[in-house]
Amino acid sequence: MAFILRRLVFYIIAIFVAMTFNFILPRLMPGDPVAAMFAAAGGKMPPEAILAYKEMLGFVDAPLWQQYLQYLKSVVTFDLGPSIMLFPTPVTAVLSNTLPWTVFLAGFATIMSIFIGCFIGLYAAYNRGGFVDRYVPVFWQFIASMPQAVTALLIFFVFSLTLKWFPLGFGFNPDLEPSWAPSFLVNVLYHAVLPMVTLMLSMIATWVFTLRNAMVNVLGEDYIAMAKAKGLPSRRIMTHYAARNAILPVVTAVSMALGFAVAGQVFVETVFNYPGIGQLIIKAVAARDYPLMQACFLLIVLCVLVANFIADILYVWLDPRLRT
Amino acid sequence: MKKLLSLLSGIGSFYRGNTAGIIGTTLVAFILTICLAAPALTDYDPNKRVARGHEAPSAEHIMGSTRAGKDVWSQTLYGGRVSLFVAFTAATVTSVVALSVGVSAGYFGGRTDEILMAITNVMLVFPQLPLLIILAAFLGNVGPLIIALILGLTSWPWGARVMRSQTLAIRNKEFITAAEIMGESKFRIIVVEIIPNLISLAAGMFVGTALYAIGAQAGLEFLGLGDPTVVSWGTMLYWAQSSAAFYVGAWWDFLVPGTVIALVGGGLALINISIDQVSNPKLKTGSFLKAWRRQNATVEAKRQRG
Repeated sequence: MAFILRRLVFYIIAIFVAMTFNFILPRLMPGDPVAAMFAAAGGKMPPEAILAYKEMLGFVDAPLWQQYLQYLKSVVTFDLGPSIMLFPTPVTAVLSNTLPWTVFLAGFATIMSIFIGCFIGLYAAYNRGGFVDRYVPVFWQFIASMPQAVTALLIFFVFSLTLKWFPLGFGFNPDLEPSWAPSFLVNVLYHAVLPMVTLMLSMIATWVFTLRNAMVNVLGEDYIAMAKAKGLPSRRIMTHYAARNAILPVVTAVSMALGFAVAGQVFVETVFNYPGIGQLIIKAVAARDYPLMQACFLLIVLCVLVANFIADILYVWLDPRLRT
Repeated sequence: MKKLLSLLSGIGSFYRGNTAGIIGTTLVAFILTICLAAPALTDYDPNKRVARGHEAPSAEHIMGSTRAGKDVWSQTLYGGRVSLFVAFTAATVTSVVALSVGVSAGYFGGRTDEILMAITNVMLVFPQLPLLIILAAFLGNVGPLIIALILGLTSWPWGARVMRSQTLAIRNKEFITAAEIMGESKFRIIVVEIIPNLISLAAGMFVGTALYAIGAQAGLEFLGLGDPTVVSWGTMLYWAQSSAAFYVGAWWDFLVPGTVIALVGGGLALINISIDQVSNPKLKTGSFLKAWRRQNATVEAKRQRG
């Protein structure tokens, strides 16, 4: 429990750092930050809306610490005001429309690449020095080293544009009415195939290497020699003795990988015109919608921290030494 | 002279039988060379209109032209200078920061360690790209130098943790104690005794960061966050995307920069893998493993003969 509590405190500090970052950044802009932030709002917004906005973001005539408290208060109470780009839709509504898509895409891609990568890593370590061990991890590393923007463009060009096997973009066919009907869900999956494959291509290598290297280290331990001496079948040694312990570094690596998945998300969603938060943040940047941009950033940080926390809980569950 | 020779033989033994390392180094060195030799390989100015828009590859323009009628081959060569400069600058900044933070935290310990590691861990959980996007958006269209600096200053935390744990592993060794007893200054101990032991890790980190920076820079510029007037591989992708090169069938417009980025990335990744396998013998595979088994067998045989 102490471990979980310590992590929780750490994540809360991290969120505060992110909020402080958001608070400081506009104040570092050259010139009048308010004027610059709301330049894009121009004629779109009534003056009183801009005034309310300023107050919400802490641009009030008060000392800096009061501005800061004001800002924290509006973030914590989810009072994020309307989006400038999509005025008058509130920022929170825009975010809640896009978040499920991103969580779906990133979550599935991460979990599937962990499974596939770990399986390859296990097999490579099991047949050390064999064909798979020699060439397959290097192959995946080569694929993963291509920037995600480039992979996404190539896959889009080949499979969507040239071969026309998959749709040109978006999360579902816009002619259909969103619902939980099977036909609609199939359509959603069909639209998600290419973005998901692109994400997975760049992530699988991490898990192949993490599991293989962890396995190689664990296989040198005495209890493995003991298990062999007892005459256990080597398959059982691999899965029940080695892999169980080698899985811990995989859980630790999740936190690194999530940041990477989010980054991939931004490119993949932009190239495939997928309606998630990665595309939203880029659109907000292009439209100079600073409040929406900052809200996107906070939400992404929050998602990554929550996923990290889940990984921590999983870690405690997997490693009895931490359960005290 | 003697030092130089031992350095050369060290480099030689790194590449002996190391196919991945040789291929990777050759790829990166080749692309670096053609970019540096750009004026000899193309007659066109990358910033001038020299052809009709989206002209297919021909004898005159071997890689075709962009929508704005600029020569793609010339842009790739000159743009590569900018992209590689950003990658190596960012990697240098990252290595310096990660080494200083990691080694100080590991060597001094106590309060210093706590504070430095708290900062590192917070930095580590932040997803980097959104952070870069927000920074770039607030700074306005950022030039290559700024991109290199923000990439360098945001990607050190992982390296710092690796350096710290390695420093912890060697700080209690006899040679460090000996140096302390001899009254060497802390600075000298760090620079002369500790850092040389971290060189292979630092090399791995440098290559890894350069790899990351190539992709991140291309990505940021592709998303339109860079300065679109500077020619680099990322802005080439950006212009290809915004001029709808896909839809009009001008595949060369994005395939050429895309392939070059992929080749440099792949080359750096191969170097990185081979550094890993050389510096950590436990992880060896393939020809490394065979050589290791052979050596091990001779040692065993000797021992048994006794």
